[in-house]
Amino acid sequence: MRLTFGDEVEAFRQEFRAWLAENAPTAEEMAAEPALGSAHLPGWARSWTRRMFDDGWLVPGWPPERGGRNAGSVETLVYLEELARAGIPRTTNPQGLGIIVPSLFDYGDEAQTRDFAMPILRGEVSACLGMSEPGAGSDLASLSTRAVDHGDHFVVNGQKVWTSGARFADFCFLFCRTDVDLPKHKGISVLLVDVDTPGITVRPLAEIVHPERADLSEVFFDDVVVSRERLVGELNNGWAMANGSLAHERSMVWLRGVLELEEAIGRLVAEAPDQLARMDPVAAAVVADRIVDSYVDGLAARALGYRGFAKYVRGGSAPEQALMKALCSESHRRACLVGSELVADQGADMAPADHLRGQGCSWIDEYFGTFGATISAGSSEIQRNIIAEKVLGLPRG
Amino acid sequence: MDLDLSEDEADLRDNVRTVLAGICPPALVRGIHEGTADTGDLWGRMVELGWPALAVAERHGGLGLGVVEQVLVAEELGRVVAPGPLLATTTQFAPAVRELGDDAVAARFLARVAAGELTGTLALAEDGRWEAGAVATTARPDGEDWVLDGTKCAVLDGASAEEIVVIARGSEGLGAFVVAGTEIEAAPRLGLDPTLPLADLRLDEVRVRTDRVLVAPGSKGVDEALARAIEEATVAVAASTVGTCRMIFETTLEYLKVREQYGRPIGSFQALKHRMVDAYLLVERATALVYYAALAIAEDTADRAVAAAAAKAAAGDCQRLLAQEGLQLHGGIGFTWENDLHFYLKRAKAGDALFGGAVVQRSVMARELGIVTIGGGRA
Repeated sequence: MRLTFGDEVEAFRQEFRAWLAENAPTAEEMAAEPALGSAHLPGWARSWTRRMFDDGWLVPGWPPERGGRNAGSVETLVYLEELARAGIPRTTNPQGLGIIVPSLFDYGDEAQTRDFAMPILRGEVSACLGMSEPGAGSDLASLSTRAVDHGDHFVVNGQKVWTSGARFADFCFLFCRTDVDLPKHKGISVLLVDVDTPGITVRPLAEIVHPERADLSEVFFDDVVVSRERLVGELNNGWAMANGSLAHERSMVWLRGVLELEEAIGRLVAEAPDQLARMDPVAAAVVADRIVDSYVDGLAARALGYRGFAKYVRGGSAPEQALMKALCSESHRRACLVGSELVADQGADMAPADHLRGQGCSWIDEYFGTFGATISAGSSEIQRNIIAEKVLGLPRG
Repeated sequence: MDLDLSEDEADLRDNVRTVLAGICPPALVRGIHEGTADTGDLWGRMVELGWPALAVAERHGGLGLGVVEQVLVAEELGRVVAPGPLLATTTQFAPAVRELGDDAVAARFLARVAAGELTGTLALAEDGRWEAGAVATTARPDGEDWVLDGTKCAVLDGASAEEIVVIARGSEGLGAFVVAGTEIEAAPRLGLDPTLPLADLRLDEVRVRTDRVLVAPGSKGVDEALARAIEEATVAVAASTVGTCRMIFETTLEYLKVREQYGRPIGSFQALKHRMVDAYLLVERATALVYYAALAIAEDTADRAVAAAAAKAAAGDCQRLLAQEGLQLHGGIGFTWENDLHFYLKRAKAGDALFGGAVVQRSVMARELGIVTIGGGRA
């Protein structure tokens, strides 16, 4: 065990830091044209992705032709740390870059790699992930969006929901049922579907606190014709991709969870002294205990995440990583609750308290936002089922 | 930050675990609980194996390993509910002597620790408080000597340790002294867990000669040195508690896989699965924080005080849940004396108070982090 990485890794960090100083988008650029959803590519995002791709900083672990530099896992971790430190988003299309592109490299053919994966890496197009349905959320294998095989094309009918970025995406990585007679896991395939294909309707879902924000959508498919060339991998091999997708998604997602949590707790600790100084001392002591409890959560998330990561780098099993999603998202939610209760009369205010100008978001606003992480991509409850069965070896019910 | 055990660290841990399985079986723990066994043979074996010398510097006759290794050993001691003087001697007495003592005095005592010739402990707490600021035991100079007067509480091995580091307050500030156990009147506590025996100590005009003064009251750097020693002791206790909790977790998990009701293992019920995952999370969380704190101390980082307090707070949270769920999920069998589970439950509970439970630790952190400024100084 040791606290710092080796000299070579730190040299890598300095190299990326120097590159960032020259190439990162400015705060003004980003503020002038904010990303409106998780597949929206504002002008700055397109050129930023392109710069990273050209200079091998988009996916450092990949070879140069795929926008990387064959970096190792520890270097990739350092790279993500530095982006977070600088407050620069790596991408405005996380599903495209983090899940769909790697899945295409794993399962797609040459044309699909050329026409769909590479353009995402160059910042030219964006993609959304068509997984959840009204009747298939946590139980994804029950999905019923149907793609009927007509030889040279499929005809798709059905509905997706909670599709992030659908209204901005160029294409959808669509999970659909291609065989109704096989067991549910075995009749699923993936199609690459242009979102502007006739028969597709995208209906954005306004969010509970910010109705003007609508990153999630319902997507309806009504006799949508999709050419057979758009079938990814083998027919009925979609379930393997669904599992693979999530593995891609989870490989370094824990770090984002840790960094977001630490950032929130840092704000909580920073604003506490002023608020507590105005309180009745007994109330202040009670609240301080909760704040410190959250601080322990943040420290624990970091320690546990890095411990799991070190095991993973050594090639061992890292059961800690399975805990990270629930730990980080639930800790973040708890910290927001503590923050919202810190200023007694402003707990339900949407505008940030005076002393939080610049943050742009009140604690209660942020609190509701954290449910995005505790519900999506395998809810906290599903995470617990998975850990109980896959890590702890408890029998299926 | 690499918080996975290195090969050497893992080897040490595995070696200690294997040895302890042989020399500290549940039957010994039961014997301690039932008053039919003592710790003499166990301690003798540990001395033969050189364990007291592990974290003593080589120049003092030790093996020169550090706090990380010490913490790994403490975790294993907790795992098997090991009784005996190793924990207090190596994680309380030795760090206090090393951090507080001048070289000559420290060398003499540490060499004896390394040789397994001495058992020791640290007498810090008073009136239920572990903060150094709360120490009221007085140290009064008398010619060349010092005279100590006061009452200490909850001293681990306080009735049996041969040498005791006593923290006392002079007119110029805190000092530290090594007092022979025989010179102190000890009142053993009737504790839940006889493997962590506590005693209250009464120091009644105890005279200490200069060769037993680790540091005279008011000397430069006493507060910082004492804080460092307390941090080491605190993290070691946290490690021991975490080791015990992990054992409760593993035992309970195994039980859920074999105990059947309604025709299936009770571990297949989702209500119990989710509770086990929450228990698992608290064990892993506390483990990671204990290792982080050990590293922070070993590398003397600026946040070592916060890291140590966070580790102990997390160990406290961990034992609260694990002792409760461990017993509840074992059902009636866990409620019986004949099942071994209660040794672990009691150890987990008993260790929590030492150097302050979760609430005390969070109060330390609240001050260290500048969240609150009310009340007295730091621990």
